[in-house]
Amino acid sequence: MDILILSGKGKNVKIDRRLFANFDWVLLGLVLLISGIGILNLYSAGYNLRVTEEHLYTKQMSWILLGLIMMVIAFSVDYHIIIRHAYLIYVVSVLLLFLVSFYGNIVHGSQRWLVIWGFSFQPSELMKLAIIIVLVRYFDDNMEKGYYPANLVILLTIVGIPFFMIVRQPDLGTAMFLMVLFLSMAVFAGIGRKVLIRLGLGGMIFAPLCWFFLKDYQKERILTFLNPERDPLGAGYHIIQSIIAVGSGGVWGKGILKGTQTQLRFLPEQQTDFAFSVFAEEWGFVGVFVLMFIFLVLVLWGLKIARYSRDLTGALTAFGVTMFVFWGIFINIGMVIGIFPVVGIPLPFFSYGGSSMIVLMTGVGLLMNVSMRRFILQP
Amino acid sequence: MFGKQDRLTGYDPVKFRKKIQVIIWLVSLAFFLLITRLWYLQVVKGDNLSQRSENNRIRIQEIKPLRGLIMDTRGNILVDNQSSFDISIIPEAAKDIKDVMNKLTNLCDPGKGAISCKKASFKSGRPFAPVRICKNIDRDQLAVVETNSLDLPGVVVDVVPVREYIYGEMMAHILGYVGNISSSELGKNVYSGYRSNDIVGKYGIEKSLDGYLKGKSGGEQVEVDVAGRRLNVLGEIKPVPGYNVVLNIDADLQKICWDAFQEKAGAAIVMDPCTGYIMAMISRPSFDSNLFNRGISGDRWKKLTTNPLCPLQSRAVSGQYPPGSTYKVVVAAAALEEGLITENTEIFCNGTYRIGDRTFRCWKKKGHGTMNLHRAIVESCDVYFYHLGEMLGVDKLAEYAGKFGLGYKTGISLPGEKMGLVPTRQWKLRKYGESWQKGETTSLSIGQGFSLVTPLQLLRVYCTIANGGILYKPRLVKGIETMDGRVVRKFPPEKEIIIPISRKNIDILRYALWGAVNEPHGTGWALKRKEKDVCGKTGTAQVIGMPQDEEKPDVKEVPYKHKDHALFVCFAPYKDPSIAILVIVEHGGHGGSVAAPIARRIVDGYFNLERKRKKCED
Repeated sequence: MDILILSGKGKNVKIDRRLFANFDWVLLGLVLLISGIGILNLYSAGYNLRVTEEHLYTKQMSWILLGLIMMVIAFSVDYHIIIRHAYLIYVVSVLLLFLVSFYGNIVHGSQRWLVIWGFSFQPSELMKLAIIIVLVRYFDDNMEKGYYPANLVILLTIVGIPFFMIVRQPDLGTAMFLMVLFLSMAVFAGIGRKVLIRLGLGGMIFAPLCWFFLKDYQKERILTFLNPERDPLGAGYHIIQSIIAVGSGGVWGKGILKGTQTQLRFLPEQQTDFAFSVFAEEWGFVGVFVLMFIFLVLVLWGLKIARYSRDLTGALTAFGVTMFVFWGIFINIGMVIGIFPVVGIPLPFFSYGGSSMIVLMTGVGLLMNVSMRRFILQP
Repeated sequence: MFGKQDRLTGYDPVKFRKKIQVIIWLVSLAFFLLITRLWYLQVVKGDNLSQRSENNRIRIQEIKPLRGLIMDTRGNILVDNQSSFDISIIPEAAKDIKDVMNKLTNLCDPGKGAISCKKASFKSGRPFAPVRICKNIDRDQLAVVETNSLDLPGVVVDVVPVREYIYGEMMAHILGYVGNISSSELGKNVYSGYRSNDIVGKYGIEKSLDGYLKGKSGGEQVEVDVAGRRLNVLGEIKPVPGYNVVLNIDADLQKICWDAFQEKAGAAIVMDPCTGYIMAMISRPSFDSNLFNRGISGDRWKKLTTNPLCPLQSRAVSGQYPPGSTYKVVVAAAALEEGLITENTEIFCNGTYRIGDRTFRCWKKKGHGTMNLHRAIVESCDVYFYHLGEMLGVDKLAEYAGKFGLGYKTGISLPGEKMGLVPTRQWKLRKYGESWQKGETTSLSIGQGFSLVTPLQLLRVYCTIANGGILYKPRLVKGIETMDGRVVRKFPPEKEIIIPISRKNIDILRYALWGAVNEPHGTGWALKRKEKDVCGKTGTAQVIGMPQDEEKPDVKEVPYKHKDHALFVCFAPYKDPSIAILVIVEHGGHGGSVAAPIARRIVDGYFNLERKRKKCED
């Protein structure tokens, strides 16, 4: 393989020293900082475990290591090459989703996990990155052609297939996440206002129809989000306990390993979806403020990379990955503090989850890829 | 090359930079939104939500106090606290609940009564909170469960204190029983300090002295996790056990009465005439207080409530009967005190008495001949008292009945006491809208007609005569003590009134009552002992108004329900009386032949007991 550490389209097999000079240490530092805090937080969240549960912080460390390897691969290959293989990546991801619907493991009533050599893998997480890559390719190819109805149909098909497959798992949260990513990228790529309005109207007609296809527990979650106290021990339990955990942290927090909501396990899903609540309870508003600041810097850094990207491909890629991170932060934190329904979107680099961590790290690799190649002239 | 459109790709960086600028603002806004909400939750509402997290983690658990004991006058325990055993399963520890339940059911020999597990819900969401699956297992079952505990993961035995009524049926009407407080009771003012799930007295002393017996709940503050598992005890307030109640009842004497009564329906009371202390009190048929301990079964409750003999009713304080001839002492006292007669006043009895167009008979068909007051009481001559009744009139009779404590509650510390009935002209007018008939006074003067008394009221009348004229409040409770025997409250004898009847007249009555037992032709001959120390009066109370002018049919031919109540009231010894006894046998027939022998057994039993105890002391 000669495409490693090379630039351009594979004609000049030559290591470009500027690649190292321009390596984005800040981005790496931010991601490692957040992941580090995440591990500390997982350590605390898993401190008082039941026999049936697993302490996950050591596992998370190995996911980070695996993620870093993927990151290296992702920034080593010129992103143009990766984008050129977008449809392949997309098709493989869709195939994996197909496999999940046949062979997937069912956990808590939904079929999301594929077990390969003893490792559980969530293809829907991979799909998040795949959809970004395929959309970059599509927008990149069709920029000048404008967005005619035919194009729109193709776009909706590209997004619609994984969307429906993930809805069927059922995992409404992740499916909606794909939609949000698509809309963000479409707006950025310059999809016409008319088309946007058309999509919006379509969505408004489509949404009530969707209600009938939702499973009972999904309807329950939406109703409970609107009024958590309507079922405090059932569906509303998660959100009420989470708000109590976050709020009881106060200004200075209860201290690491001392959060009562966490350590006495009133807080559900504390190593995964509600990891942020653990942090908020034990570190208080001060800790939360610092963490949010780091997250904000990360997102702005990603946007900066998009802005200074050399070409459209790079800008779209950087923007897509940044939105991936941004929406993850916004939806997850919004969810644990009660401004979004409970949808099961992990907090990037913070919640426990192998698939999520590896995919995000790969995404960050792409960001670095764009960042370090912005000064290299295209032949 | 920055800032210029790339001709090859059509990429216009300026356009995208503007967009990114907008998006940076939007992203910052989103973060600002999150931070604002976090600030609101953590800083503004922080204290409030901290409190809620404390409420999550800290539970106050009640520790129930032990209920006070009830003892008799000599310190014998009448009501004790025993342990009852319940089986619970902790779902988290049991793992396979079905398997454990099956094992539990199979372990117990079916012949001995298998442990029946009720289908409990295990989906409480708190896997460490025990779920009770069966209540009140017996000791054999307990032994089986304990020896096999290794095979029964998650199975725990809870010890629940229950009342043990050592004398069972014998004292059920005095002691009563306990049960879970009902929702209707919780709503009442009397039970303002109580909480649901509390055990309260439902009847008898358990009910009337519940405030002393129940004690004070303690509590602990426990840190629990989400599953309800106890982690730490943060604070504890010890429960205060209830006070012990000491009764004036003498358990040995109570047993003597119970045995003397055999299987007849009725009541007996033994009282100290000089203090008003109730030494024994039985009511038959009875029930077993222990049945109510862990909630009585529907079948058993139905059996008790539908029994025509009403075993739940305490006849001694809630039964109302016509006093019959026992009432004659009240009539005599009234006539003497009003100066209408002296002890020497003689009246001729020919066996009948005419008033208006009605003829009343004496119980002795041939008549008693010429009688003075003493003989009239001794032989229980009805005609003599018909005359006295006519002289006195209904309202004078009622006045004296009232002085003897008839017609109102005695205030004994038992629930459900009845008032009896002392009829007057006004009462009849109010009740029936009719004026009083002369013949009704005639019936009244021998304790028939409208007149109703409770056994306890009637016994008090005789106590008053026995002690020379003091009406005592009946005292069932002697005192209240702490668990270690420190006296909290005493209930000394309480004189209600000194009745306005001269000592001389009372002595006339006392002597007549002695005569009724010990002189020839005395109706209470059954009580004639060699010590000649008992004074008493028989009574035969008609249940239905027999036509007075007809002959009475033979006792044996009358159906049970229509048979007369047999009464006997007595006190002893004649000089310096120490007990007064009332016996009433419902539908027993003749007082002298049915009730008096029972009283005799009680008197004999009492004096034997006294003698035996004295010997022991010497």
